[in-house]
Amino acid sequence: MHVYIYDEYLNNAKHNRAINRLEIRLTDLGLNGKIIRLGGIKNIKATIQNEIKLGAKTIIAVGNNQTINKIIGAIIDTEIYGDFQKKTLLGIVPIGDDNSIAESFGIRNIEDACNILLARRIEKIDLGLVGSYYFLNQASIQSLGTTIEIDDYTLEVMERGEVKIINLLSDTREKIKSNPHDGKLDILIRTRHRDQSIITVKNLRITNPDEKLIIDGVMGINTPAEISIMKDKVNVIVGKDRMFE
Amino acid sequence: MFNKENKLEKFKDAETIIGASIRVKGNFQGQGDIIIEGILEGSIKTEANLFIADGAKVVANIESKDSVINGEVRGNIKARGYLAIGGTARIFGDIQYTEISIEKGAIVNGNFTLLAEEHRRGDRKKTEEVEETEEGAE
Repeated sequence: MHVYIYDEYLNNAKHNRAINRLEIRLTDLGLNGKIIRLGGIKNIKATIQNEIKLGAKTIIAVGNNQTINKIIGAIIDTEIYGDFQKKTLLGIVPIGDDNSIAESFGIRNIEDACNILLARRIEKIDLGLVGSYYFLNQASIQSLGTTIEIDDYTLEVMERGEVKIINLLSDTREKIKSNPHDGKLDILIRTRHRDQSIITVKNLRITNPDEKLIIDGVMGINTPAEISIMKDKVNVIVGKDRMFE
Repeated sequence: MFNKENKLEKFKDAETIIGASIRVKGNFQGQGDIIIEGILEGSIKTEANLFIADGAKVVANIESKDSVINGEVRGNIKARGYLAIGGTARIFGDIQYTEISIEKGAIVNGNFTLLAEEHRRGDRKKTEEVEETEEGAE
């Protein structure tokens, strides 16, 4: 059974046409399923967990990065995670802005999403963990004043720019190798003078007293923050062009 | 091997790059190739190759397979393979190498030791010890 989780912001009338397009396409492809609208639900975690207990084969996040993170947050490290990992796949239908995670999986629009759901090509994907928050793409922070502690050494960034802790590369034009199921995170530091640093690690501690760490482009948290990686945590339905080595 | 100008060609797929705006403190270890363009204080060890760029400042003992040094190093260097010292390099420390090239203009203040020779001596010593033991047994 497919369960479609519609995020709260989709209640806005400006998304009606997109929703109609999606539902028509899903009907055409025989992919209909149960629809849950998060708008009216107080306990999102319990609702999503209940659907997995009832035997959902695919949970589909209809929305943006935050929708995906809400679903993952409701499942990982809970008693139903075992069932989820064995029996349930995560699908994504991007609507609106902030959809870098969908893009990472080669899902650019509703039509792509429906075709990809039909094809059901599956990849096991690592999850980044910052405190109690999970991320699929990356966590980022302004570079000046940022200190990163790794194993037996410390990195200090001395110029303005950006530090990205990457699990799954959202911008496929980036010329760095990043593999979302190697059990490692890639630290990419790019400063204003086009100076670039790359380091691959399993865990780190990041500190910047003046800046927040932004998770998947949607949520800001204070530092110091411990960041680690959980290997092959989610089975995601991805586009056929997305090959992760 | 590296080309004559000690360029980065071999390192284009380096696993680790420490850019010019980064300062590293501590013991830095890696499995893959490492490029250092910034500042590093502590130690560096890699199973693979190391490139220290012109402008980089390294205050550390270094151990790698092949190494290219174009920046400043204050510490001992052990290159298990080929060591290329560029014309802009400033090295203050002892150097152990298997093969070496030094470009005109480089400044080096330290002792050079050929690792391969050391190993050969070690092997010869072992052979002599074995022969002595065999003779003793007869």
